[in-house]
Amino acid sequence: MNFEERLRTAINLEVPDRTPVVPLIYQFALKHKGRPIVPLAGGNPADWHKIIQAIEDTFDDLGGYDAIYAAGVTWPISSWRINSAPGNKYVSPGERGIQKDFSVQYEEREVMTLEDYDKIANVGWNEFLREYIPRVSGISIEQLDTVEKTLLNIYKKDAEKWRVRGIPVMSGALLISCEMTLSLVRSLPKFMLDIHRHRDRVKAALEAMTPDFIQNTFTDVKESGIPFVTFSLERGSGAYFNLKTFEELFFPELKKQVEAFAREGIISVLHMDTDWTLNLPYLKELPRGMCICELDSTSDIFKAKEILKNHMCIMGDVPASLLSLGNKEEVIAYCERLIDVVGKDGGYILSTGCECPPDARFENVVAMIDTAREHPVPRSR
Amino acid sequence: MSELSSALANLEEEKVARIIKQELGTGKDSMGVLTELRKGMDEVGQRYKKGEYFLSELIVSGEIFKDAMKVLEPTLKKDGGGPATKVVIGTVKGDIHNIGKDIVATLLKGVGFEVYDLGIDVPVKAFVDKVVETKATIVGMSGLLTPSFESMKETVDALKEAGLRNKVKVIIGGGVVTELVQRHTGADAFTDDAMEGVEIIKKWSAKSN
Repeated sequence: MNFEERLRTAINLEVPDRTPVVPLIYQFALKHKGRPIVPLAGGNPADWHKIIQAIEDTFDDLGGYDAIYAAGVTWPISSWRINSAPGNKYVSPGERGIQKDFSVQYEEREVMTLEDYDKIANVGWNEFLREYIPRVSGISIEQLDTVEKTLLNIYKKDAEKWRVRGIPVMSGALLISCEMTLSLVRSLPKFMLDIHRHRDRVKAALEAMTPDFIQNTFTDVKESGIPFVTFSLERGSGAYFNLKTFEELFFPELKKQVEAFAREGIISVLHMDTDWTLNLPYLKELPRGMCICELDSTSDIFKAKEILKNHMCIMGDVPASLLSLGNKEEVIAYCERLIDVVGKDGGYILSTGCECPPDARFENVVAMIDTAREHPVPRSR
Repeated sequence: MSELSSALANLEEEKVARIIKQELGTGKDSMGVLTELRKGMDEVGQRYKKGEYFLSELIVSGEIFKDAMKVLEPTLKKDGGGPATKVVIGTVKGDIHNIGKDIVATLLKGVGFEVYDLGIDVPVKAFVDKVVETKATIVGMSGLLTPSFESMKETVDALKEAGLRNKVKVIIGGGVVTELVQRHTGADAFTDDAMEGVEIIKKWSAKSN
């Protein structure tokens, strides 16, 4: 099987010749190649080609693997551009006296008001941004559009490099879920209080966001030519909210979005940081074979296999702490267990639990990739 | 459970405010009101343990408690109160995540601890100095990223060097913290769950008192 076939076989819930392995190595690659750690689309744009080179060189230093999670430094960001507005920003290592070998961090502040829920509900997401973006950032939506178009074109060029090498790219668009987006710009505690005090207003805003989120994502996927959308879902989980809220407010929007993409043959990569164990049964309502349930090691991935086998491909979840503090033997033992249990009968992609930490031991990441190459996929018969 | 405790446990904001106003207006002592609020917070913790409440309910209860304390605090000083276990808490050097740390700090205050919250990106020395100054017996360190592990370890080492390690219990918390991290840093306990962290600290406090 070539890389594309192996990846597609796993997504289609069939048994590949071996388990595909796809670590998320952005910050790890920068550290490995001695580059400053900057956020996606951050730092000096003149240096972005060096970042891409660092990712490509690290990919080769690791001996290669089955797909690249995101093609480059300028991930398509139409649907979440609100998060890059001033007031909410990324803080890079070296800034504000933070150690240079630290990770990129997101600084969360309350930049959206309670009244903004009503505005979103009344006019929809894209129209709301026309008024909101200038208010919080001082730039017009047209200026932002121009920047984003440039970023998308750079992404397309980066994706082309991987295509030439025969390496599939697993993201043609990035969609931060409606609830995640609102919680980031309201701040998490405020968003929780809003749901407690003004549940109907929040629900109306969430419902009004979905059609534009779908349309924006279609635009990005069409432009990038990569039929995969990455959902950033962290804050909808049972680690944060009760199932009633998930059922009434969050899941209906996720379902509408995934179904719309599936109808167009687009695979939804559900990047599910934090503990989603309680929410897993709901994922059976999403279209079979059209999603990837990507877990970060806080959810019970073995339970996920029990619940989602023959319905949804599972991806994950070598823990960050194991990669940075564990030894090679411990990494191999954990990866073999993943392949034996979660990988049984296919439908599984071995990966880091969320992003590979910058301080991961190189030999541990190699051990993870080698285990996927060498350890056979068990079959029931 | 009293009406006030129940109202807090049920997250009834307006009802809590109304009862506090009534009780203080009729001369009830503020320490008694605080005790009822703490019982309500305890009940929130019980419901979380049973899986009836989630993080959002912890945060909402914490906000109601904070609002109630704004009303009570001026009168509490007059009434005094018994000595409480002191906890020094903060997000470690380099890490600017505050949400998890803030939740634990609020919950600890809610169940009666004296909390010294040092904020985010807290230098190693600041933890040590605060323990010396307050004679706190518990240190809570939060971090959401793997590079935070080294900051946690340096803080534990610094407590050791200052001759304080056998006088304080250390708990580390955060989404990526595991037993492996606890061993690496030399902490006494770890958690990735705010309420579990509070329970561990409550047990330590009960043993030492």
